[in-house]
Amino acid sequence: MTREMLDLLGIDSKRLELQWVSSAEGTRFAEIVTTFTNRIKELGKSPLGVAA
Amino acid sequence: MNIEEAVKLHRTYYCLDCGVCTGSCPVSRVLPSFSPRLIVEKALLDLGDELLKDKDLWSCLTCGRCFERCPTKINFPEFMRNLREEAAKRGIEPTLTHHGMLQTVMELQTQGVKQKKTDWAREAGKIADKGDVFFFVGCMPYFNVVFRDLGVDSLTIGKNVIRILNAAGITPVVSDEEACCGHDMLWNGKPEVFKKLAGKNLELIRASGAKQVVFSCPEGYYTFKNHYPQYFGDLGFQVVHFYDYLEKMIADGALKLQNGAGSYTYHDPCRLGRMAKIYDSPRSILKNLAGSELKEMERNRENAVCCGTTGWANCSSCSKQIQVERLKEAKATGAQTLVTACPKCQIHLSCALANLDTKLEIKDLTTLITESMATA
Repeated sequence: MTREMLDLLGIDSKRLELQWVSSAEGTRFAEIVTTFTNRIKELGKSPLGVAA
Repeated sequence: MNIEEAVKLHRTYYCLDCGVCTGSCPVSRVLPSFSPRLIVEKALLDLGDELLKDKDLWSCLTCGRCFERCPTKINFPEFMRNLREEAAKRGIEPTLTHHGMLQTVMELQTQGVKQKKTDWAREAGKIADKGDVFFFVGCMPYFNVVFRDLGVDSLTIGKNVIRILNAAGITPVVSDEEACCGHDMLWNGKPEVFKKLAGKNLELIRASGAKQVVFSCPEGYYTFKNHYPQYFGDLGFQVVHFYDYLEKMIADGALKLQNGAGSYTYHDPCRLGRMAKIYDSPRSILKNLAGSELKEMERNRENAVCCGTTGWANCSSCSKQIQVERLKEAKATGAQTLVTACPKCQIHLSCALANLDTKLEIKDLTTLITESMATA
């Protein structure tokens, strides 16, 4: 639902990620955060607040 | 605006202490501690701080039933709106419903986002980028996501309007960049956000070259008709409600309604009825549906009751009780279908109906019109 709302607002829903990681899964946590960070870097600046 | 200024502006010192407001108030009937008369009294007695901190400030539905009947014509809803502005300035806020999600959308629309929300309109029919008639859709694309679970598809209304306009040979302008009309921000005590949203909309509509802006949403219509000129002066285009527009199209023969057998009762939205004084065109359209029978509820037209909550704030057990009573009243007319003319009324009444075993159908007027055309 949040993704749909973001799409309507013209905010790429790829900027939103929701994952459950257990405290025992340090490696998995690092992987997810790294992947997400790289994705955001690729997407560049968000349209929010750029031309208000 | 501080309380003293609000008192002067709305001349609440003319209050006769008659209590007609409290006697007419749908909230007071359910919550006896809430009293418009007492609020006016407190403001006059300089008990401002107490008043602004009181949660009752946000309990008012701003439905205008009190104003309609006040012998000295004190505009209580507008008075409340001004007090809310002052309260919000001091950091006091209402309890937002749906996690404040809709207010977040409104605020984000002032932050330079480029919305993408007209795919449904292209699917529904022909729309244009420029033209004489601008269809102001309002928040329905967002409602559609949030309230789908209730079984309410708010976008149907928008799609219907486009289909009906197309059938009458009109290709309306529908824009991705249209922002919320600002109604809820205004009534949540945030005129700065309202001004930003409204400014964006005015710029957009003027750039489209539209001479007429058509609204199906009563809140959008009333806000453009009443508050936009207050803040921005002459708008430079005509503000028309879809049902007035349609009534004329039917009279001119541009649109023919063939079918529509059934018994209906009509729920007047506060913004459309008491505030914009549009009572007749929706009823006239209903009567124009072949085979239709209109059964009025006991409280209709200027006496109609609010759908229970407004401005996406303070939905309470009080709201629910008002809604349930309203549904029972609709059922008591013997009508099969309760016809709504406002996307929010439809959402609120459908929400209450979902928890009842009452057999009643809730339909938006645009749906009835489209169905009547589809079989033509």
